[in-house]
Amino acid sequence: MKKRFLKTLALTAGLALTLGACGSGGTGSSPAGAKDDPATATGTIRVMIPTYPLSNDGKAEFQKVVDAFNKKYPKMTVEPDFVTYNNMNEKISTSIASGQGYDVLVTGVGWIQPFAAKKVFKDLGAVGVTTDTITKDTVEALVPTVTYNGKVYGYPMIADARAVALRKSAFVEAGLDPNKPPTTMAELKAAAEKLTKRDASGKITRPGFDFNAAAGAYRQAYITFLGSAGTPLYKDGKPNFNNEKGISTLNWMKSMVNNVEPFGYQNAAQKPLVLTNEAAMGFVKGAVDCSDKGIGQKNCDDLSYFLLDDGAKSEFVGGDIAAIGATTKHTDAAWAFIQALSTPEASNAQAKLNQKIPASNSPAAQEQAQSNPLSKFVSENLNHAVFEGGAANWLEVRNSFNSGFDEALLGKRSAEEVLTSLAAQSK
Amino acid sequence: MSELTTSKPLGGGAPARLSPTVGKPAGAGRPAKRKSLTRKQTRAGWFLLTPALLHSTIFISIPTVAAIVLSMTDYSFTGEWQWVGFANFVELMGDQNFKTAFINTVVYAVVVVPISMGLALLIALGLNQKIRGLSFFRTAFYIPTVTATVAVASVWLWMYNPGSGLGNGILSLFGIGPQGWLTNPDMALGSVMVVGVWQGLGAKMIIYLAALQGVSRELIEAADLDGANSWQIFRHVKWPALAPAQFFVLVTAIVSTFQVFDLVYVMTQGGPGIATNVLVLDIYNNAFQSLRLGYASAETVIMILLISVFIYVGRKLQGSDKSE
Repeated sequence: MKKRFLKTLALTAGLALTLGACGSGGTGSSPAGAKDDPATATGTIRVMIPTYPLSNDGKAEFQKVVDAFNKKYPKMTVEPDFVTYNNMNEKISTSIASGQGYDVLVTGVGWIQPFAAKKVFKDLGAVGVTTDTITKDTVEALVPTVTYNGKVYGYPMIADARAVALRKSAFVEAGLDPNKPPTTMAELKAAAEKLTKRDASGKITRPGFDFNAAAGAYRQAYITFLGSAGTPLYKDGKPNFNNEKGISTLNWMKSMVNNVEPFGYQNAAQKPLVLTNEAAMGFVKGAVDCSDKGIGQKNCDDLSYFLLDDGAKSEFVGGDIAAIGATTKHTDAAWAFIQALSTPEASNAQAKLNQKIPASNSPAAQEQAQSNPLSKFVSENLNHAVFEGGAANWLEVRNSFNSGFDEALLGKRSAEEVLTSLAAQSK
Repeated sequence: MSELTTSKPLGGGAPARLSPTVGKPAGAGRPAKRKSLTRKQTRAGWFLLTPALLHSTIFISIPTVAAIVLSMTDYSFTGEWQWVGFANFVELMGDQNFKTAFINTVVYAVVVVPISMGLALLIALGLNQKIRGLSFFRTAFYIPTVTATVAVASVWLWMYNPGSGLGNGILSLFGIGPQGWLTNPDMALGSVMVVGVWQGLGAKMIIYLAALQGVSRELIEAADLDGANSWQIFRHVKWPALAPAQFFVLVTAIVSTFQVFDLVYVMTQGGPGIATNVLVLDIYNNAFQSLRLGYASAETVIMILLISVFIYVGRKLQGSDKSE
């Protein structure tokens, strides 16, 4: 009663508080049992998913998944809610408050632990998924992204892996060997300083290294550099960054910002600068289009990819992870839908639509991963994954990381002060 | 219909009407009718008010009460919750994000409201003249108001782009180096304010323009004939006539500046650091990113109080009785 009262209050307050899109329609699930015969089971599966864009291509690919699901569950309907990572939490929270929870929720790396802790996601042990399943189907390095307290709460669909790219021509021009990319932070800084071009007034005209980060978005770069020092952000759910390595990494980043690239520098398209030859080195996402519609073969041939290694190879990995809502009345059907989302055909389509790579290690799912040199590179190095999240309140502290790092990088607060504060906030 | 009147009405007022049929003062026979009419009018009034009252109750009163109740809990959509009394408010007092958001919001309102009102009045005065291309200018100044804020913010993002933006392009023509409009913590809030002022001009301008066109021509001509110059006509004729419009513009401007969200959300997300964090963004982040609805509700309660104070002060400064 008390809970229902609060939910009602939450919903009405949500109406007052919500400024952007919030809530979702839908009729919720029908009361079909979890162990219904697939051929006769009826009801609606509500799916929240950021993977498919609202383009015709995106809708067509999603429909293929629905069709595959309906082959097994012909009498069940699928009600999709196409979300973005920006409004995902609004959707989840308002769906819970309104008592219309989703049956399948596709979220990202970093979401699993907080929502598992809040009992929003169902333990996938209920459908026979274990850490061995994840290891067998994907790569072992992704297991921590989907587990909480030793239980599996998510199933990786596609990986959003990042690498560092260099411009061979820029290296040659600066007297550096493009076949020997810098891997430690010290080497990277030395190379970046050599590669940085300035005009007569000292203004940077070509960054030596592009963080590919707007203001307030240096968090993932930090995690990558920290990972290259052999230090994961969290260890067993406990902060692992308020230590010497964490502080020195943030201070190192501070020494790079406004030295080899202006703070928050991006081009108008917000694309990695190294791909368009606007920077000599920099972070890139997991795919590159070498066709004339993309950056072109000539540009592609001038690029080479590497990972940072200051003690450990470090490839930042995000990605889309499917989970089952704790309130679902269709557990088996929800799992069947996740399986339909994870077929090689669906994974390849998702990866192509999002410039990511399939998380599946099935040879049949490698088509997109082999389609361009960058995807091939990050796919081969998926076992060096470092990722964000790990704390049960990650979603609460995530924004504090963004603002805290900005303040440290701009010299408003010391790295030690920022990291100590963030560690204190992490639970 | 003929009516009889008494020669000397009681009280010396207007002659009292007599009913020709009943032969007694109408005042004695009509109260019942009047009462009936009043009742009908009252019923009609309530009937017409009902939709607005329902709307206010459902979408304003209940959420307000809900926010106040939730502000005293640690509700986070899921799991257990506890009554925490004023703990959320106490925590807010030590929350650097909230403090910065509070200060930024007040600064934003204090800067944007008077500047945008002043500029809008100047533009309205200009557009109240007979100039060539009047319709074009009126439309041009109003376009930002009817343009989606996300589109406006996206365009300004491009203009503020440190690498290829128009802003730095113009500065370079004068030999001034590139500025981090949205990446420099000391400039970012100011840059957002510029967009806020620009976007709010149209709505204010149109209200001022309507008010200016309602100023009596006779008064202006009389002042002109009396030898008043343009400034004196504005100061002593137009300005007093603008008082109701001023009050309306002031209140709506205060409310809208305190509710600034979409501009900041699209342009800076509150950054760099927390340099452009504002109250509604902080409420949004706490409620829907950190899933702390109780805490966010406490912030909302404080914001409601803050807006009330500002409107009260605004009324006092403007002498609200003029508009009543």
